[in-house]
Amino acid sequence: MLKGLLKTIGKIYFGHKIVLWMILTVLPVGVSVFMLEMFSSEIVQHIPVGILKQDKSQLADKLERALQSSPVLDVVLNCHDMSECEHAVIRGELQTFIVLPTDLERRALRLEAPVIPVFSSGQNYLTNMFATKEIRAVITSIGSDLFTASYDDPVKTEIHSVGNIEGNYQGFLALGLVSAMFHLAAMLVAVYIASFPLRDKRVREFFNYAERSWVTLGVAAFVPAVVILWLEYMGCYAYTHRMLMPMGFEEFVMVSVAQLLMVICCFGAGITFVGVTGVMRIATGVSGVIGGPAFAFAGQTFPVMAMPFAVRCFAFLLPLTHVLRVQSMMLLGDVGMAESWEVIKLMGGMALFWVLLGCFTIVLRWKYRLKHDSQLPVATEDENVVTVDSLLESLFEKIRRRK
Amino acid sequence: MISRLLKVTLTEWKLFVTDPAAVLLLVVAGILYAFYYPTAYMNQTVSRVPVAVVDLDHSAKSRELTRMASATQQVEVKAVYNDLLEAETAMASEEIYGFMVIPENMEKDLIDKKTTKIDIFTHGAYVMLHGTIGTAFSTCALTVGAVSKVKAIALGKKVPSAKAMAMRDPMPLSIQTMFNNTGSYSNYVVPSVLVLILQQSLVIGICVLGGARGHRRFRRNQRYSEVENESMPYRYLGRSLAYFMHYCCFILFYHCVIYNIFDFPRRGELLPMTIFAVVFLASVINFGMCLSQVFLRRESSMQLFLNLSIPILFLASFSWPSYLMPSWMVGLSYILPSTFAIPAWLSIEQMGGDIYDVAPKLYLLAIQAVIYFVLGMFLTHLRDKSKFTTGDM
Repeated sequence: MLKGLLKTIGKIYFGHKIVLWMILTVLPVGVSVFMLEMFSSEIVQHIPVGILKQDKSQLADKLERALQSSPVLDVVLNCHDMSECEHAVIRGELQTFIVLPTDLERRALRLEAPVIPVFSSGQNYLTNMFATKEIRAVITSIGSDLFTASYDDPVKTEIHSVGNIEGNYQGFLALGLVSAMFHLAAMLVAVYIASFPLRDKRVREFFNYAERSWVTLGVAAFVPAVVILWLEYMGCYAYTHRMLMPMGFEEFVMVSVAQLLMVICCFGAGITFVGVTGVMRIATGVSGVIGGPAFAFAGQTFPVMAMPFAVRCFAFLLPLTHVLRVQSMMLLGDVGMAESWEVIKLMGGMALFWVLLGCFTIVLRWKYRLKHDSQLPVATEDENVVTVDSLLESLFEKIRRRK
Repeated sequence: MISRLLKVTLTEWKLFVTDPAAVLLLVVAGILYAFYYPTAYMNQTVSRVPVAVVDLDHSAKSRELTRMASATQQVEVKAVYNDLLEAETAMASEEIYGFMVIPENMEKDLIDKKTTKIDIFTHGAYVMLHGTIGTAFSTCALTVGAVSKVKAIALGKKVPSAKAMAMRDPMPLSIQTMFNNTGSYSNYVVPSVLVLILQQSLVIGICVLGGARGHRRFRRNQRYSEVENESMPYRYLGRSLAYFMHYCCFILFYHCVIYNIFDFPRRGELLPMTIFAVVFLASVINFGMCLSQVFLRRESSMQLFLNLSIPILFLASFSWPSYLMPSWMVGLSYILPSTFAIPAWLSIEQMGGDIYDVAPKLYLLAIQAVIYFVLGMFLTHLRDKSKFTTGDM
């Protein structure tokens, strides 16, 4: 049995499978590292802003200098009128612009509270949020120095992001994106492995290699891919997590278990799609429709609780939603670890369901194909099992070419 | 000449409307995704986020602060705890997503004119909630502080309270959003994604049909077909025209139906929209025609491009600004039509930009279209000359 298992693994994984190795290793790892590199500056800085300086006073100069010296902002344009700034925003050259109105200093010194309008595009959530926050901080700080420098603010606030102390965008977003990549990759790989014997009409060949055992064929086909993908996922996750709070060994084990369960769930789902549709391109399309936008539904960017009920139900069915919950719970230390058990149990149930369903449907599909494929005997040629009809077909092809 | 071209166009159209895989990509995907993706964000903004208050002061002031927090629209105070651990446990089980700690002796410190610090904790995994909760709690806390400060200024400088308020904040800010006034998350994400859906479905669709052409069975079945034996420029341009007309319908569908249903702003004018459609589709179709010469199997393009959708979306700098990306990545992004098409579409449709505003991006798209056209013709010519091969890709 072991010999049959090894032979089948060799046949499936090392038989000129460029696409399989691409989607199993190169793309998930490559894309994960690529996304990490994309966020390598970690936090948002140098946001392009403009100033429309209608007031030529000392106070306006002081405000301009303060804005220029902020590391978050980059004053790239001094507009002559509103229209110039507005069009720069439309062109994407500015994210925000500040109008220092006429008589700003005079009115501020007379305590008339002149309003400083700040216009942000509103079309880029992240940069707009950081820019307006920083502009508010800069202007409020200079304003408070005008009359009440000796008065401290009686209440100060400090916002802590638990588990992501520096508000590191790379750590936050890449963590979710890496999981989303592997969520999709697991489905696509499962679809590929389950369906290429159907596409290439090689079910009989693999079945014979597996010594006519469906269990051996199933283990040889799917277990190595699950292990490879899981190890890659753990590696990429650990690499991403270095930006956040360090994890303890137990936390790492918990997260790894959740990640393994997610990979198994996705494999089960992918196999089921093939079992139901029986065609690689349709099953790949279904995986793409479900796995492609899964990140948008998993709640890390836009929270699940704010989604409509039907979408919440769909989000609940996605393994990605649960693995992201476990990962985010681990950011809270021991308290989170206790809570994550419940989620892991749920994921275990999901994994079992999908694996059983996947095995059932794919065995039915393979059996059907085995029965309905060529009923002719097979001939062996240099250890490769070749069906007689394919030999005949290649012979006819040669004859046709000669003609 | 035109009839030869139209013949190829019609045959190609007929082919992708009758081929199940092509129908899935070129018809169903564009419609399904356009409804499926925005549904998650139908509520547009996050409000009434469950939060808690850890009250260690138990004073009239702390209760006032709790009431103020409860009254805000962004958060909903689910519980008031006496202990930090209780709040942490609730946050771990996701009953709440953040909490504010009112320190011991806050009221006493305020009366004694000492500075007090209020800590706000948010869940580090949810950046959007971090902003919402942080803003809501700090606004309440700073309002309490502002009242005390105004009182202190009025008493210290012996001025009326109105004047004391103006002295505390002599230059108030008025923050206005120009194009997404409600701060809707769907207005921010979905329009960019729609452009990506058009690009990805079109490129994969062309590759699926291109892969079919490399396939032995297709060649055998079509070897006597008049259209498949048409001269290469006619075949290339005729097919491109079929995709172009088909996707023009999609752009109209998004502009007239999807934008209406999901209530996205429609500020696009006819001229920039038309020019955008022409150069964007020309660029994507030629890009797809180039790539389609690479694949020998129909599914391979799906398997590869589905993995690349997320990085392609982020490369268009709709979320993470391009000036913060490594320069090699920015260089790489120039090969993708979406890098220029997404900002151009947002400028036209969301911000009402005129043709002069988007001209630089449209020029780049046009340059891409020309380069990919030449490359596509060359690769198609090479493939026509080559013997058919079968392989894994």
